[in-house]
Amino acid sequence: MQQEVVLAMLAKEPSHGYELRARLARALGPVAEGINEAQMYVTLSRLEKGGFVARLEAPTQRSDRKVYCLTPAGQERVTQWMSDVSWPRPDLAEFHMKLIAAAQGALADPISIIDAQRRDLLRRLREVGRAVMEEEKDSDAALLLEGIVLRLQADLRWLQACEMTWTKRSTPK
Amino acid sequence: MTDQRTKSVMSQQRGTRRHGVRGRALLLRRLAASDLRHHVAQAVLFVVAIAAAISVLSLAFALNGVNSNPYQQTMAATNGPDVVAQSANDPYTGVTSPADLAALVALNHAKGVVAHSGPYPIVGDNGPVGAEMRSTDLDTSVQVEGREPGVAAVDQPKVTAGTWIRPGGVVIERSFAETANLHLDQTITLNGHPFRVVGFAVTSAFHGFPGTSLIWATEATARSLATKADPLSYVSNLKLSDASPRAVNAFVNAFGNGLQPKGGPVDATTPFLNPWTAVAYDDSGFLRIDQAFLFTGTVLLGLLALASVAVLVGSRLAEGTRRVGLLKSVGGTPGLVAATFLVENLFLALVAAAVGLLAGWGAAPLVSKPEADLVGAPGAPPLTLAMVTVALAVALLVSLASTLVPAIRAARMSTVGALADAPRLPRRRESLMRLSRKLPVPALFGLRLVARRPRRAVLSAASIAVAVMGLVAALAIHAAVDKKFSHFASSGGLVNPEVPRAEQVLTAITISLVILAALTAIFAAWATVLDARRASAVSLALGATPQQVRAGLAMAQVIPAVPGAILGLPLGLGLFEVAGHHLSGFPPVLWLVVAVLGTVLVVAALTSVPAWIGMRRPVAEMLQTEGA
Amino acid sequence: MNDTPTVLVHAKGLRKDYGSGEGLVRALDSVDLDVSRGEAVTVMGPSGCGKSTLLHLIGGLDRPSAGELSVAGQRVDGLSERALAYFRRDEIGFVFQAFHLMDELTAQENVELPALLAGYSPNEARTRATELLEEVELADRARHLPSMLSGGQRQRVAIARALVNDPAIVLADEPTGNLDSAAAFQVLGLLESLRAKGLTLVIVTHDERIATTADRLISMRDGAFVDETQLTGGSRGHLGTFAEWEQLS
Repeated sequence: MQQEVVLAMLAKEPSHGYELRARLARALGPVAEGINEAQMYVTLSRLEKGGFVARLEAPTQRSDRKVYCLTPAGQERVTQWMSDVSWPRPDLAEFHMKLIAAAQGALADPISIIDAQRRDLLRRLREVGRAVMEEEKDSDAALLLEGIVLRLQADLRWLQACEMTWTKRSTPK
Repeated sequence: MTDQRTKSVMSQQRGTRRHGVRGRALLLRRLAASDLRHHVAQAVLFVVAIAAAISVLSLAFALNGVNSNPYQQTMAATNGPDVVAQSANDPYTGVTSPADLAALVALNHAKGVVAHSGPYPIVGDNGPVGAEMRSTDLDTSVQVEGREPGVAAVDQPKVTAGTWIRPGGVVIERSFAETANLHLDQTITLNGHPFRVVGFAVTSAFHGFPGTSLIWATEATARSLATKADPLSYVSNLKLSDASPRAVNAFVNAFGNGLQPKGGPVDATTPFLNPWTAVAYDDSGFLRIDQAFLFTGTVLLGLLALASVAVLVGSRLAEGTRRVGLLKSVGGTPGLVAATFLVENLFLALVAAAVGLLAGWGAAPLVSKPEADLVGAPGAPPLTLAMVTVALAVALLVSLASTLVPAIRAARMSTVGALADAPRLPRRRESLMRLSRKLPVPALFGLRLVARRPRRAVLSAASIAVAVMGLVAALAIHAAVDKKFSHFASSGGLVNPEVPRAEQVLTAITISLVILAALTAIFAAWATVLDARRASAVSLALGATPQQVRAGLAMAQVIPAVPGAILGLPLGLGLFEVAGHHLSGFPPVLWLVVAVLGTVLVVAALTSVPAWIGMRRPVAEMLQTEGA
Repeated sequence: MNDTPTVLVHAKGLRKDYGSGEGLVRALDSVDLDVSRGEAVTVMGPSGCGKSTLLHLIGGLDRPSAGELSVAGQRVDGLSERALAYFRRDEIGFVFQAFHLMDELTAQENVELPALLAGYSPNEARTRATELLEEVELADRARHLPSMLSGGQRQRVAIARALVNDPAIVLADEPTGNLDSAAAFQVLGLLESLRAKGLTLVIVTHDERIATTADRLISMRDGAFVDETQLTGGSRGHLGTFAEWEQLS
């Protein structure tokens, strides 16, 4: 589980580990089935070591009942992640969580996140498209680039769907 | 479990399917009804086209035997003769000898005669020269029959205005009086002697004008009018015990100077006998002319109806391919598909036959109003089984002829092709394409549109040809009649009253032809506009002005109309030769030119209306509607 | 062509309504657009968003309900139908999704049609058509009917037709909508080469690949512009991230 996702979820309010997992499960649906509690705690302790989260001590708490919260460093990391448009190996769940966390934690407008990402992908598509033109037809490079183009197209379409759904949510009934 | 049960129900029903004619019939009825509802205008035109031809045909039939009524009524009113006998005369001098007169008198007591009147003296009945009558505006030859002031036993002419004869007063036969424009109390001169017109009357003994120009006067007057050139003759009226046509003809053969009795020599004193059947025949002459025109008109209208209906059905097939595909894809056999076309059109044909019959039958009294030489109303014309059968046959024939080919084509169409709505792909004619490129834009469009649907162009040309044919024949008849009677009138002659009314019938037929051809042209233009919607839209998008496209659509109708109109000219003149009733002469060239040019211009004007209507939508909208 | 203005399309407050009263549909809602000479603009959006309507207005195929519109230096929103026809003929080249070629004309006859409409002699028109068919690499199919051409070939003929009168601007409405990806790729290449020659393009499409060949990408929804992305004017840096994408580094 990406560290940034957990951090962003904590931006809403300090939470228990199992609460975080429950929220993840609700947001990701069947995709969350692969994530178990242990992974959550591993991520949380890594974040604690990195100084991004802190534990709210309560004297006689067992470990699974510890409440975690964001440190200022963690807060800054979250803000940075919100405006980050890097698109690593296509992991829809991560972007999906970014939007949900942004909405739940009032961190940013999900729609502007989508728009910004979309614009970036469009520019990438343009570059790759041009590169394909310059390669020899049916060469190895052209083939790989073609694959990238197709994935970018698919991703753009998903972003369009995200935009439609999130717009519906934001328009008051 | 359920599947098994359902299956057996269906296989049970499969057995009853063979008897499912009612289901199919219901389907056919529904399809036909919904189709008609959606294409009302076309259905109406279909019916009008066929009904027009049938109404003219039934009118022609209805005139058969319509005139018998007025003649019989006149005969009854005047106690008219079954046979009119005229004395024989010297072939060189025209004088009736005492022997001739005796032979005439002897007839009054011949076997079979039950009543007689006369002999009466008559002047002007011998040849072309008669008594000379002069009135205020007329100078013409007449026949004068001398009569008693009292009532004759047989043939007492019925006075319709004024009184019967008296010394110095004459009675004019009504049809002649009307033609010669004579009034009561008018003074006319006969051979220079003045007489007063005291009355008009009708008789069944003689055919009226132009068969005779008959005046009744006192016997003294009649005798006084005889001249050396025009000697006196005598006429008797006979009534027979058996007045049937056969008996009357037998009497004439036996006693008259007609057919010689077997082996017997012809006696020079034998009187000339004229049976009532001959007079009745002459009296109905006008009807026969009318009938002749009407039969010709029927043929023309029938041809035109065929062309119109073919255009209608042809364009319907183009629209209806998708429906055909749907029917086939759900299991409709080719037979069913063909049936859907035929059922609809057969129904319309029946309606057209009924409408046409009623129209023709209803119009018969208008056309058969008797001439002035008879009294009495024509009465209802007979609606015979023969008429109905012929009307139905014509209607069915026309609709079948035009529907058969499209129906077969629809039945043979492949289901996939029909569903994809690939209608008859516009054909390509290399030569026309090459030609059209060099023409100005409207002609370019027009020619290409014509090339897309050649069959429709041919049918349009044919319908224009038929219409012009009728128009030219009618003009030729008018011109010949005008010429004949213009110089006739200038020499003091009179116009045959049969002529104006025959001309009326002619005009009515011509107008029907023109209207039907106009409707067909408008419909063909409309069909073309719809057909060419996409092409028009694309042309507009490429920069053609709306005016250019509209002109092109009109040109698509004008281009076939020109050869059609030109072809109609010789055809019409030929028709005039064949059916023109011995009239001769060439109509003025100006009229012909106007007819041909006028037709083309009218077609252009008429077809610009659908073109204008079709082009009113904005281009973008037109492009959205799909089409080939 | 040198004296044409640098702004080829200027639209201000452009509005298009259909129907009236209860049934009023606002297809375009006060749209402003400026397209410079030589610029390629694509318009994207869901169906019914008004992108085709916008294209039709620019191309003089329809009239705006309100607003002003100038194309190639001419005020277009008030022209008569006849003047619009001349305008379309001389300044606009239109490419449709459904190609809209005349089925009974050969490729070269299709291409030369606008030239004949514009009054060129048959020979001149034929010469020009042949030139253009060579440019779109269909010279060997000049005498083929559309039914004998593949979808991509038909669209190329349509593009040649759009160019025959040397228009100021080419408008394309979903040019690859009816094409498979291979044919679309060919058309894409053609449009690219037109751009390279300095032709002004406005393309409506839902294909992102076509869309990103443009200089500017406009997104529309419900008759209005909702986003505008400038695609040119950046450096070619993004390719480097592919490495991290595919975890090659």
